[in-house]
Amino acid sequence: MDWSPIWLTLRLAIITTSILFAIGLPIAYWLSKGRSLAKIVIEAIITMPLVLPPSVLGFYLLIAFSPQHGIGLWLQQHFNIQFVFSFQGLVLASVIYSMPFMIGPIKSALQQLPVSLAQASYTLGKTEWQTFIKVLLPNIRASLLTAIVLTFAHTLGEFGVVLMIGGNIPHVTRVASIAIYDSVENMDYATANAYSLCLFVVTFIIVIAVFIFNKRTAKIPLE
Amino acid sequence: MKFRKLTLTSLLFLFVTIAAHAQTLQVAVAANLQSVIKVLQADFKKKTGIDIQPIIGSSGNLVNQIKNGAPFDVFLSADISFPESLYKAGFSMDEPVVYTWGNLVVCSDQKIDLKNWQNLLQKGKVKKIAIANPAIAPYGKAAEEALIKTGIMNKVKPKLVYGESIAQVNTYITTGVVTVGFTSQSFIKDADKNVKLYWAPVDAGLYTAVQQGMVILKHGKETNFEQAQKFYKYILSPAAKAIFTEYGYHVQ
Repeated sequence: MDWSPIWLTLRLAIITTSILFAIGLPIAYWLSKGRSLAKIVIEAIITMPLVLPPSVLGFYLLIAFSPQHGIGLWLQQHFNIQFVFSFQGLVLASVIYSMPFMIGPIKSALQQLPVSLAQASYTLGKTEWQTFIKVLLPNIRASLLTAIVLTFAHTLGEFGVVLMIGGNIPHVTRVASIAIYDSVENMDYATANAYSLCLFVVTFIIVIAVFIFNKRTAKIPLE
Repeated sequence: MKFRKLTLTSLLFLFVTIAAHAQTLQVAVAANLQSVIKVLQADFKKKTGIDIQPIIGSSGNLVNQIKNGAPFDVFLSADISFPESLYKAGFSMDEPVVYTWGNLVVCSDQKIDLKNWQNLLQKGKVKKIAIANPAIAPYGKAAEEALIKTGIMNKVKPKLVYGESIAQVNTYITTGVVTVGFTSQSFIKDADKNVKLYWAPVDAGLYTAVQQGMVILKHGKETNFEQAQKFYKYILSPAAKAIFTEYGYHVQ
């Protein structure tokens, strides 16, 4: 059996989750502090992939990154980057598509922390950065883990966008979900089952690990 | 009283829709026929008054759906082996009949001369080349064969992207995300209305002719046999053949 779709899927999920963790923390922190029109609009945009069909994103990415015109042409000419049919394209799509799963839980956890916590830290002379790293984050550990795991698992399960902009290239964009779809179409149920079982087991282990870990700190597992 | 009237009306409406549904023939259609089927559908309706509902997909996907109980009456495949597998598995009563032979073309939405495509594909200005997935789409298999026979497969392989059906290859061509794509000739005529395409036929000696087979399915035999038979005969009639020829297919 060809294991490359499984490795590719794991690689995509790890890279996507790392990027989202890095950009998600500051965004979630910013969103959790106060309310303004800009924040509401940005939060709405970040949340939209939760409800929009993946084909909407796939369609717009296909048009936007076509090397014939606009952004796609510019990227191609100046940086020689092509987002359609490439691994970096999948990473970009996954980052957009999984963003609400990273930012949502972190933001609400930060909002639920008592304000006095940060205030006490400031009174003791800590800066905002120190407070964020040493006081706020340790207090939302469970939510951080939930956000990371949800993002990772959601990226593992990505299908629609990849089907539209991936081009099904072995070792580059043929992720496990696509390989399963292919094998089913090809009536190769044994291969489809092997890949499916892999995803099933990996997902099960991840989710159960979170449940066990979070049981100690949270009232409900996916808090 | 008002309520009863309403119930009656909706019941009546229900019956009408059920009756209309029985009139509609569910035809599973290979993706390469997506343009010609509209013309066939209109012509068939004009001649017989029977509506057909085309369900378009890659042949492999459609066969899977049929084997898992999809209520389709007739199947127009992109090759002969898929309908044969249905016949062997008992999903159709008769062996498949070949209704047309498809032509492979190489095609682009950019103004390039494709006459000498064997050389062109190896050049740097051709970034990506779309073919349908050879494992499941007959036109993809034909394209792969042609690339191997011309001896350029190894050189162009890094440029290849795979559409899940010939329809997705067509999308890749018209949106310009690939420089060239291998598709069926029928696509050229349909796309003509919207986009200017540049294309060249692939020499028939470079790939095994794409024989497209048709079967009446068990579901059609059981529920819609008379109409299914009419459609089956129509597809093999001179009128349908003329339409196929117009769209760049071979008929005999």
